[in-house]
Amino acid sequence: MNSPKISTPEYMVLFRSTGWQENLSPEEMQGIMSRTLSWFEKLSQEGKMKAAQPLFEEGKIISGKKGRTVADGPFAESKETIGGYLLLTVDTMDEAVAIAQEWPLLDCGCTVEVRPVAPECPSFKQIAEEQLALSAA
Amino acid sequence: MSAASQTMPDGSGSRVQQLTDHLFRHEAGKLVSILTGIFGIHRLQMAEDVVQEALMRALRTWPYYGTPDNPAAWLMQTAKHLALDLIRRESSFQSKQTKIVEFVEQRLAEGGPEAEAMFEDEIKDDRLRLMFACCHPSLPQEAQTALALKVLCGFSPKEISAAFLTTEAAVAKRLTRARQRLQEKNVAFEIPAGVELPARLEGVLQILYLLFNEGYKASSGDCLIREELCLEAVRLGTLLAGHSAGNQPRTHALLALMLLNGARLPARLDDQGNIRRLEEQDRSLWNQAMIQRGIMHLGLSAQGDHACEYHLQAGISACHSLAPDAASTDWRQILRLYDHLVQMNDSPVIALNRAVALSRVEGPSKALNAVESILDSQPLDSYHLFHAVLGELEAQRQQFQSAAAHLRTALKLAEMASERTLLSRRLEEMESLSSD
Repeated sequence: MNSPKISTPEYMVLFRSTGWQENLSPEEMQGIMSRTLSWFEKLSQEGKMKAAQPLFEEGKIISGKKGRTVADGPFAESKETIGGYLLLTVDTMDEAVAIAQEWPLLDCGCTVEVRPVAPECPSFKQIAEEQLALSAA
Repeated sequence: MSAASQTMPDGSGSRVQQLTDHLFRHEAGKLVSILTGIFGIHRLQMAEDVVQEALMRALRTWPYYGTPDNPAAWLMQTAKHLALDLIRRESSFQSKQTKIVEFVEQRLAEGGPEAEAMFEDEIKDDRLRLMFACCHPSLPQEAQTALALKVLCGFSPKEISAAFLTTEAAVAKRLTRARQRLQEKNVAFEIPAGVELPARLEGVLQILYLLFNEGYKASSGDCLIREELCLEAVRLGTLLAGHSAGNQPRTHALLALMLLNGARLPARLDDQGNIRRLEEQDRSLWNQAMIQRGIMHLGLSAQGDHACEYHLQAGISACHSLAPDAASTDWRQILRLYDHLVQMNDSPVIALNRAVALSRVEGPSKALNAVESILDSQPLDSYHLFHAVLGELEAQRQQFQSAAAHLRTALKLAEMASERTLLSRRLEEMESLSSD
């Protein structure tokens, strides 16, 4: 892991769905819903969850080097969509991965991606540090 | 199961509101009924899709925000918006779009308690309309049961296939054909009235009875889903009995029968999942609330001068339910009821059950004679319980070798592990007794 060292490490957990919903029964959905809710609740109580939001399905994909194409997406392109994210404040990638492994929807064939969040824009950070050094001097 | 749910901290003051068991499944059934009232029975699939999408939205958002204060109302509103989106987009709705939109607004309005009470009645009507449509005589019976489970009870094709021991694809096919059939036959989304009602009601009762039996007979399949089937049949029966169109003595009789038998479900299996015979069951596990409701409906079924099969079967079940222990069972009364029942239904299985009652009243030899005189007993030959009953009757006559022979045949025919365990145990007992 070569990610830059930051004071409070953060990990972005991206939830990817892959068309799993078609086969779920209402009973199964309720079961998964309750488990997911408890899972979020636990992370929140442990103070590991900095933020979490679902993403609406309706979105646009913009592409094209010349003349922009705006397409309905993301599902027009691929069945895989990001359904939401979770920002974890844990110390290590291992810990973030261990948490992500408990995501109940993995049982339904969904995937989850864990990415270390890079520190704030380095130039801003540099300026901030310089100012700090100046004021200390 | 995820590890998280096991280590879940206590939910005090949390946004995790425990949902009512089966809330999604039950709401799905209600919402499909309401939406079918809006889209029409020929767009049943569309109603099902909208409901699936509403539940999906809950699944996608509730984990982040917590469960809404009124989950059922949330689902209803979401379904309403989805339905309106669909109506506005679909060209086929355009000619009557304004009217439908108005209708949706009115039917799915948020209102005060008065409007809600009215609305509850309207939902019940819609559910009954859908029930009559699912049990329409133009559909084959297996399609009726599958469709009722899918659209009224919110089971998935996979769950239905587990209960009926068939493949998911077969169930899906059955459902597709059933929906097509309803469309082709132009089946009305209505509660039948007048001269049409009695026959149509009979059809609905038959389907509920089938659903219940499918869940109740412990021959094989997924145990949990089978119990759910029984409880669903009771729910639908309760709805039917509480509505003027269904409030008939035979409806109450069927409901009583299902409640009284259903009350014994918790005692039917031991910790290892083996079947307990009625006389071995821990009667304190019987669901007393269900028994009380059953007895109440049995009382309501006694209006009029006609007793149907449901009446007799409910009466038999009541004899068992009301006996504080196996020894005090009123077998004479049970035999009398079976005597009536065999006159109405010449099923060899009923005749076999009557023989069991006869053995308790007049002894095993008379019962064996009765079994021998069952006409058309050929279908029983391949029925493991037939041989099990013969074995038990021979055992009562102290004819242990003969009993063992019958139990061996029963064991060869029995498929379900829990029944095989019971039969093996009895066989061992007979073998040791016959060698003494």
